[in-house]
This record gives sequence, C-alpha cells and structure tokens, in this order.
Amino acid sequence: MTTIALRPASLPLAGPSSRRVTTPDRPDDEKALVLSAQRGELEAFSELVRRHQRRAYAVARAIVTTHEDAEDAVQDAFLHAYRALHRFLPDQAFGAWLHRIVANASLDITRRRKVRDADDLPETIASPFRDPAESDELRLRLQAALARLPERQRSVIVLHDVEGFKHSEIGKLLGIPEGTARSDLHYARSALRRLLEQLRSPQ
Amino acid sequence: MTTNYSAPHLVPDDDPGEADLTRALRTLYAAPEADGYWSALEQRIMDRVAGGDALDAWWYVPAQWARIGLIAAGFALVVAGSLFLRSRAEQRQMAFDSVVGPSAGGPTLAIHDAATERQAMVNYINGR
Repeated sequence: MTTIALRPASLPLAGPSSRRVTTPDRPDDEKALVLSAQRGELEAFSELVRRHQRRAYAVARAIVTTHEDAEDAVQDAFLHAYRALHRFLPDQAFGAWLHRIVANASLDITRRRKVRDADDLPETIASPFRDPAESDELRLRLQAALARLPERQRSVIVLHDVEGFKHSEIGKLLGIPEGTARSDLHYARSALRRLLEQLRSPQ
Repeated sequence: MTTNYSAPHLVPDDDPGEADLTRALRTLYAAPEADGYWSALEQRIMDRVAGGDALDAWWYVPAQWARIGLIAAGFALVVAGSLFLRSRAEQRQMAFDSVVGPSAGGPTLAIHDAATERQAMVNYINGR
C-alpha cells in the first residue's frame, strides 16, 4: 500500500510576480494520490484539491464573469471530478482532465446565468472581490471593454495572456479548433488595444 | 528554379501584447492570495464531496438505474405506438365497412355483367 505524505497548502501563492500558477511536477506522487482517491480515500482527494484549486480557479475565472461564479464553477467541477474519478485513467494528466471539467462547469454556469439575466445585462465585467484600485482608469476602461468583447474572445485572451495556456490547450478547454482560438486572440487584442489607444490619446 | 508559395492568412502566434494591457489584465484576473481563502474553499469542496452534495443528491440516480429506466420507457413507447396504430386501423376498417361493407343497411347497387349487356344489345338489334 502506498503511503502519501499530505502537506497543507503546499503550492506557491498566486501573486503578481508569479502569474502562471503551476502545479508541481510530481507525476508519481500525483498518480498515487489519484489511485488512493479512486479507492475512496478522501484525504488523497483533498490533497488533489489543494494542489489544483488555484489553477482550476484561474481557468474558471477566465470563462465566467464574476469571482463568485468562478468559485461555484470550481466547487461544481471538483464534485463532478470526484464522481467521475473511477473513469479517469491514472496514467493521464490529472490537471488537464480536471481543467476540462472546470471549463465545462464554467460554460454551464455562463449559459445558466445568460438565461437568468437575459433582461438584466451587466454594464461591465464584475471585478474580482479584492480589486485593489477601483479608481484606476485603465482598469475601469478595460473592464468596460472586456464586457463588450464576445464571451469566447474574452476567455481566450485571459487564458492565453494571463494564464499562459497554449492555443491548443485553449481549444481543448473551450471545445473550439486551435485556429479559432488564434483568431479570437488576435481580434480580442485588437479590440482592447483600440480602446487603450483612445485612453492615451489627448482628449 | 524557384517556387512561389502563397502563405495562407495566418494570425501571428507571438503577437506581442501591450505590456500595460497584459499587466492590467493580470491585475484584473488575479486569483486571491490569502492562504485562508484557499483553505476555506478546499473545506467547502470537501464538505460537498464528503456529504455527497445533499442539495442535488435527491435527483442523482445511479447510471444503472437510469439505463433501466430508459429501456423501460422505450419499450412503453413501442407498445403505445403499436396499440395506437392498431386502433387506428380498426377504426378505418369500421368506417369502410359502414359504407360499403356487406353488413351495411344502405341501398345496394345492381352489378351488371358486361356479357349480359352485350347480349341485350344484340337482341335489340335483331329486333327481339
């Protein structure tokens, strides 16, 4: 029987200096965790949650519009993952598998939200819960511009520029061809740049 | 000899994003940093996992039962369909019988044999 040392909060924190939150490369360790979780050991699954929740949040946050929805998506995704764990092959990358589930949960929340809020569209993208400088004009403009972008383009630019996902990974996450992810990124950047130029130009 | 290849319209992969744009995006989408936040989120997730998520457990049906239910529903649909078709065919038969059937009480038509008619014509011509 494999013994796994469980450590609390072993990941580096997500701060401005370390944007791309990475999961430590410990494939054997992770495989053992997955196998233990598949046997029903909740402590092992808890460790998987601990390792992957930040990256899962980042994926969700790129797709949904609010911090609260991202939280819900992460919780739903881990619950789905736990229920489907018996179907997961331990030789695969757990992170990639989980991110697909997170993306699906996020898209599902977005769809439900769209139906619910059909008559009450927000003017801007809601900011994260701890936005440090609401008065920052660039940020406010950016929020407004992001709200005007098509949802998929917004997700693509955030996943690529903020989270560092490759086009092929974004394609898999969002269920679109890689070429579409490339062109979405191009159009999203162009739109946002136009807006920033307007901001820089003298009034 | 030179061959000219026309490159397809490609969107550059390494289109350098504006530094301030990227910086602003990263600030906007920054994940929470506090350890306490992540511990609490992990706890909420594990509570849901351990509790089987009581909120939606009432409709969670094991896949095997769902499969049996689907088969039963399909079978019931086939039976209902065949019964419907059968009753429709019976109704049509009854309607047909009520108009032209042997049991109908309405007027009957005299059916003339073509040979008899021909003979009658011959007799008429012969002055009979």
